This record gives sequence, structure tokens and C-alpha cells, in this order.
Amino acid sequence: MRFARIALLSLLVAATASAATTIPPIPFKQRVLPNGLQVYSAQDRTTPTVAIHVWYRVGSKDDPEGRSGFAHLFEHMLFKSTKNMPSEMMDRLTEDVGGFNNATTFDDATAYYEVVPSNYLETLLWAEADRMASLNVDDANFKSERDVVKEEFRFRVLAPPYGRLFYALEKSSFVKHPYRRPGIGSIEELDASTLDDVRKFHSTFYRPDNATLIVVGDFEQQQLDAWVDKYFTPIAKPSSEIPRVSIEEPARAEEKRITEYAPNVPLPAVAMSWLIPSASHADAIPLFVAATILSEGESSRLQEKLVRGEVAVEAFGDADVREDLGLFGMVAILSSEHQPAEAEKLMRAELASIAEKAVTPAELEKAKNLIVTSALRERETSNGKAFSIGEALSKQHDANVVNNGLAKVQAVTPADVQRVVKKYLIDGKALVLTYLDESAKGGAK
Amino acid sequence: MKRWMAALLLALPLIAQQTTPPAPAAPREAKLPQPVEMTLDNGLRVIVVPKHDLPLVAARLMVKAGAAADPRGREGLADLTATVLTLGTKTKSAEQIARGVEALGATLSADASWDSTTVDLSVMSSNLNKAMEYVADVARNATFPKDELERERAQGIDALQASLAQPRVLAAVVASRLTFGDAPYGANLEGTPKSLAKIERDDLVKFHAAHFRPNNAVLVLAGDVKADAAFALAKSVFGTWVGPAAGRPSARRPGGPGDSATRVVVVDMPDAGQAAVIVGRRGIRRVDPAYLQAIVANSVLGAGYSSRLNQEIRIKRGLSYGAGSSFEPRAQVGPFTARTETKNESAAEVASILVGEMKRLSTADVPEAELTPRKAALIGDFAQSLETTSGIVNRVSALARHDLPLSDINRYISGVQSVTAEQVRKFAGTNLSGDSNIVIVGDASKFLEPLKQQFAEVEVIPSAELDIDSATLRVRKEKK
Repeated sequence: MRFARIALLSLLVAATASAATTIPPIPFKQRVLPNGLQVYSAQDRTTPTVAIHVWYRVGSKDDPEGRSGFAHLFEHMLFKSTKNMPSEMMDRLTEDVGGFNNATTFDDATAYYEVVPSNYLETLLWAEADRMASLNVDDANFKSERDVVKEEFRFRVLAPPYGRLFYALEKSSFVKHPYRRPGIGSIEELDASTLDDVRKFHSTFYRPDNATLIVVGDFEQQQLDAWVDKYFTPIAKPSSEIPRVSIEEPARAEEKRITEYAPNVPLPAVAMSWLIPSASHADAIPLFVAATILSEGESSRLQEKLVRGEVAVEAFGDADVREDLGLFGMVAILSSEHQPAEAEKLMRAELASIAEKAVTPAELEKAKNLIVTSALRERETSNGKAFSIGEALSKQHDANVVNNGLAKVQAVTPADVQRVVKKYLIDGKALVLTYLDESAKGGAK
Repeated sequence: MKRWMAALLLALPLIAQQTTPPAPAAPREAKLPQPVEMTLDNGLRVIVVPKHDLPLVAARLMVKAGAAADPRGREGLADLTATVLTLGTKTKSAEQIARGVEALGATLSADASWDSTTVDLSVMSSNLNKAMEYVADVARNATFPKDELERERAQGIDALQASLAQPRVLAAVVASRLTFGDAPYGANLEGTPKSLAKIERDDLVKFHAAHFRPNNAVLVLAGDVKADAAFALAKSVFGTWVGPAAGRPSARRPGGPGDSATRVVVVDMPDAGQAAVIVGRRGIRRVDPAYLQAIVANSVLGAGYSSRLNQEIRIKRGLSYGAGSSFEPRAQVGPFTARTETKNESAAEVASILVGEMKRLSTADVPEAELTPRKAALIGDFAQSLETTSGIVNRVSALARHDLPLSDINRYISGVQSVTAEQVRKFAGTNLSGDSNIVIVGDASKFLEPLKQQFAEVEVIPSAELDIDSATLRVRKEKK
């Protein structure tokens, strides 16, 4: 991301929740160009703006070996010069006309997006096609942008007191799968990357048959289709294979406990993670509902037991489902005078209670209502709708999830939640990460 | 057939090699929201902005008093009052409120800003009526239970300690002190560990009684609700709301006297993973006639990716992930800040860029080729903020807070467009060049020498000796 978040332990609503029987469906149309480019479009003429997204099926998990953080660094480079655009021209075409642009590197995909006044739609289609077809970055550009990414690393990981906690959790939760490499990378591996790596990455992954164009907002369908044909059809489809991650993460044989020390940690924290199935697995939905019951809102279980119980200042959980497999995470930042072990015990007790006694129908109903309202808020803008389509495609390879996912959430029963909590979180093996100020190192308190 | 296909494929790339972007089509007019309003007999102003594309409503009850009304030594009172406001009423416990609201799929929160305190609701329209009862209940009948206060106080102190460990948060707090001294705006909105410890339950009760009254409040609803239905709902949940007989207390001058001392302060935090750099000074009031000039000037200087600060610091030099600036116009003169974060080694360099760019804005007219796109960026942000129910509530309630006409919404675009380069230069001459304070929080050993070469007087305060409760910023040494 050029500006804001990178998904470390995503607290965003998973794409599985982005639809509801009670909310208007997103009436998308889909087609495929001869070169393999997938095109999704959904008209919404409420306001004269349009969101243009291009999602490439390449994410942090595709970082080359020894180049952790590369997919994200590359994302920054796609705002530099192409054959027909000087550096930062995307900003001229968006910000300068009252729109905006940004990009986000996820574990499984990289999304580039713009929102512009709708009379600029053709201009942006041209620009997205241009940077898909060619990238023309020089060494000075590359080095300066690499410095920016290193500052982003300091900003996200080194400066905030709990930045290193999420970094370590991501790194330690997987042993084999490339999800173990934090998307932001490391200073050393960023330094090791070269301009040649950038060119190679573009030719390997930035191609029409590895991309999805999503257009949502104010447009005429025929006109859009004609522009898409004009600007994207000529982009050649390379004959080379697209490399895919096929490494399987082994099931955890036993629990693992680690301690991470960092400077300026005002209050200790504890984080736990469990391996859960991929986003397209049927259990992903009840796991997401379980996370909502545990963590969403002031009356959620973690909030009531840990925060209102005065053991933690903050406590939250998340079912972070991805394309290959997911992580269920729970984190508590302790209140002063309290110890990580207390929070761990309380969080485990909530899981045990769900596994033994199930959740109440009222609690489940509440979670479903919260999920519906949150999906409604996501759909207030064309950009939000385009995001929900992109996430469904990158994680589940099925855009229909945006229109039928919520029916699946509505169908979840207390027994479903009970079963998945028992299977993955009680019988599964936890990684427990204790996070302390470095002054606590070596036994000194 | 095959040859025909091949010919087509050959022909297409010629079209694709279009080397310049296609020109835009004619723009379509945006529809601006049309607020309708009425005032209830008890003085409560109700504003409704109907928008029916999704079954969602955002609502806000705003009272026109916030942290600027905090008594000296009890900074953080408005914020703490807002936090505890939703944690108990005459008939409901904190759990009952949270569970009741969330069963409706709604979110309810209360927040204090400098000039107002708000209760915000987001809810699907089918549950609006039920959810509004909770809004009214906490606004009218909050009881501020002692145990809830104690928990929130303890957690507030813990949270402050965590946030003040971040260089950029600490730098912002120190910059406010330098700009406003010991006037209310000089404090931290959330208070300090010391000030939170002094607040008593009675302070919350008094704050609530003084400011939560219908003739000091505005209710704004935006989204899937008809105006008539919203007015009827407002009457049913707020119609019998009566304010206390006692008048409202007079407040301190939140902006203070406005002296213009210039200080360069380094807070030495040897462990800092990155340095935070802020230039701060007094800005403008929200009702200042030059408000739009300020917004346009700042858009050139430091709002958005392509503003000058981000161009110079991030795009040209790779010194930061981002740099920016803002005016925060308030009821009284609010702050202006320009800020960035960088590796400790380049802190002095970015400080001089921040100051230099502020000055440059006052020395030469912004070229039209730069000014026009910056105005377009502002207009675009404005239009996007009106696409969501919560964005509409924000815009409308900000106007209502400062008693500005709601029709200003319809004048914003033309107002921005009419600001000239000369106005920007003159505005910057008065408001951005000259006396400013500079704060750097970071590992001083890595930037102190170059900083001293740029600025004659640099004060270094070790983080252990910093006292953010004091306008002097230093822990007072006990005399032996």
C-alpha cells in the first residue's frame, strides 16, 4: 500500500461476509478477453464517479526467495514510469482531477485501484492497460522508492510499540508456507533486491491472464466494453507458465511458545494463532462467525471477559482466511499489573466454553446482524463494492460470493460454530507468543 | 479465416500504442445532499439528509461542548465523559446497552472532540427506531457508574502510556503545548496519566449536566429515512428532553492569548525506531472568512499524495513513507501542523524541508498548473465524503457546530474554485511563514549536530524529564 495499511493480521471483514439476503445484490457482469484478462463490471449511477480496480494474482506469498517484501516493493514501482507514462502520472490522472488511487499488497493478490469522476473512465482504462503492458523504471527511481518502503517498514514495524508483535506473529505462525514471510519484508532483503528483480517480476506475473479488471460505478455498459476491448485486448498473453505456490503447510504437531522482546513496550501482550482452512473451505464461514462472536463489538466475549474484566486494555480475535490456508488469531494487550498468562487463560476459557456449551441463539443472531450492517457499510461506495468482488475472486476464486455469501452466514447454526471451534481451536495446536519490553530480557523484571 | 484473424491481431497493437491518455468526456453533475431541518419545542435542532440507495442510516447527536471546556488540571474530562456516557443509564447497565444495541446489528459510540461531544449510531434502517432509543437514553439519562469510570480511567491511563510511547503521538502532544501553552487547546484531548487520575465522578456528572441539553444540541440523520419519519422519531425520543435550569458555565479561552514564541524542542528517545518531526503554529478559526483560502493553501502544501511536502520528502528524496500538513480550524483559533516521520539520521533534513516549504508558499504565487489540480483534489474529496451516510453526517454536523448555513454545502465547490493564487500567497504570508515551533521526537544522537547547524537554539529534553502536563515541558526539579 502506498499510504495506509498492509494486511498483517487483517481485522477487515472477510469477503465471505460481504453479501446479505436483505441487501441489494451487486449486479455484476463478467467476461474474459481472448488474452485471458477477466473483466467484471457493475453499474451504479448514483454518483458520477467510477472505481477501477486491477487485481493481479500475485501477492506476498510469491516473493522470490531471499527477497521477502518484494511483491510489496514492486507494488510501489508500478506507480513509476511506463513506456508512455512518466513517474507519478497516475496521480496526475486521479488526484489532480478529484479522484484518488492506491494499491494494496495482500498475501495472495495485489490490488491497484482508482476512483475518479466518471468522465475520466477511458483515461484510466488506458493507464491501467499501459502499466500492465510495460514498465520502464530506472535505477534512481527504484532506489528512492526502496527507501520509501524502508521508511514504511520503520513506520509500521519499528516505531509503534506493538508493530513487532504482529510482525513476529506472522513470521512464526507458519513453518513452511511462504505466508511465513511478512509482506512488509525486512531491511536486509529489501536492500538485496535489484532493478533486474523488478523487471523479471513484471514479466512473470503482470500479464493479462493473471489479472482481473473490475469496474464499478457510473458508466454505459457498451461504451465500457468497447474501451476495454480497445485498450486491453492488444496486450499479449505470454506463453510462459505462471509460477504458483504449491508448498503445503504441515499441520502443527504440538503447541509452540515463543517470547519476543522489543523496545518501548509499555504493556505486555500475548498473541495466539491456529491454522485454519482456506477461504473457500466450508468451515471458513462458521470460523468467521466465531471470530465475530468473540471479538466484534462492546458485548463480544473478549470485550466482556478481558477488557471489561480489567485484565486487558485491548483484546481481539480474527479469522484471517486466505487462498491457501488461514490463521485464526487472538491478541490481548494486558492492563498494567496483569500478566500474559491470565489473558491466555481467559481467551482459552472462552474457546472451551463455546466448544462445550455452544453459543446462544441470541448471540449468534447478534453476530449475523453485525455482519450484515458491516457489509452494508462496505457497499456504500463503488470502491467498496469493487473491493468485495476483488477479495472474493482472490481468496475464493468466485465472485458470486458477494451475492450468496451472506445467505451462508445466515445458515450458520450454534452447532456449526461449536464444531469448528472444537476442531480447529481446541483440538488444533496453538502458537503462543508472549510480547515483552526488552528490559524484561534475561529474567530481570 | 486464420489470416483474417492474424490481420486483426496485427492491427490492434497500433491502436494500443496510443502514447497519450485519452481526453476526458464531459463531466456529469454530482447531486449534492439536500438537508431539511426543524427545531423541536425544547430547542433541539434536527437535520435530516434522506438518501435511499441502501437500507442504512447514520445518526449523530452532537452537543456543542468538548475538550476545550475541560477544567485546568482535569484534562481529558470531556473524553472520559463520552467514554462512560454509554456505560449506564437510569434503567440500563453497560452490558444491557451494548447487548441491546449490537443485537440490532448497530454500532453506538460516543466521542469528544475539542468543540463538541457526539453520540454516533450506524444501523440498518429497519432497526433505526429501536436503536435511536439507546441514543436518547445515554444522552439524557447517563448515570456514570463509579465502577465503569474506574475501569475506563485505568484503561485510559494504560492506553495513554502505550500511545505516548510512539514518537509521532508524543511529538503531536508536545507541539500542541508549544503552540497553545497552558490554554485548553495546549492539552492532550485524551488527557495525561496525571490528569486522568484527578478526575472524579462528580466532574463527569457536572460536565454532562452543563452541556447535554436540548438547546445546546443538534441531531443529524442521513440515509434511508424520510424527513417526516425522522422528525417524528426525534420528537418521540427527544421531545420530552428538558435541560437543567442552571445556565451553562463560562469557559476559559481555549486558544489562549496567542503569543508567538518560537522554540525548537527535541525529545530524546534513544530507542525510537523512527523519528517524528512536527512544525506547529496557530492557524485559524472555523468561521474565519479565509477558511477556504486556508484549505486551498494547505492542499498545495500538505494535503494529499501530490502536495509539495510529500513531493519533496517522499517522492523526490525517499525520506519518509509520507509527509503532510493540516489546519484544524476550531471554534477558536486552532492549530496548523506540518509533519512527517523519517529514519533518525534524516530528522534535521526533513525539519528544514517542512519549514522551507511553508515559507516558499508565501514567497511566490502557486502556478495555475499546480493550483488547479490541487483544487480539483479538494473538490473530489468533498464529493467522495458525501457518498457515505457517515460522511454526510460529518459534513453537516461540522457546519451546524459552528452555526454556519447548511447551504454552504452547495457553495463549497464554487468557493474553492474562486480562491486565487494571490490569495494563497498572501494567506501563507500571514499564516505560514515566520514564527513556528519545531518538535522532533527520536534518537537525538543521530540528528542533533546537523539540527544545531540549522537552528540557533535547540532545547533537548530527555524523554524521562519530559512533563507534558506543564507548559514548560520539563519535570520541575525539587529543590534540595
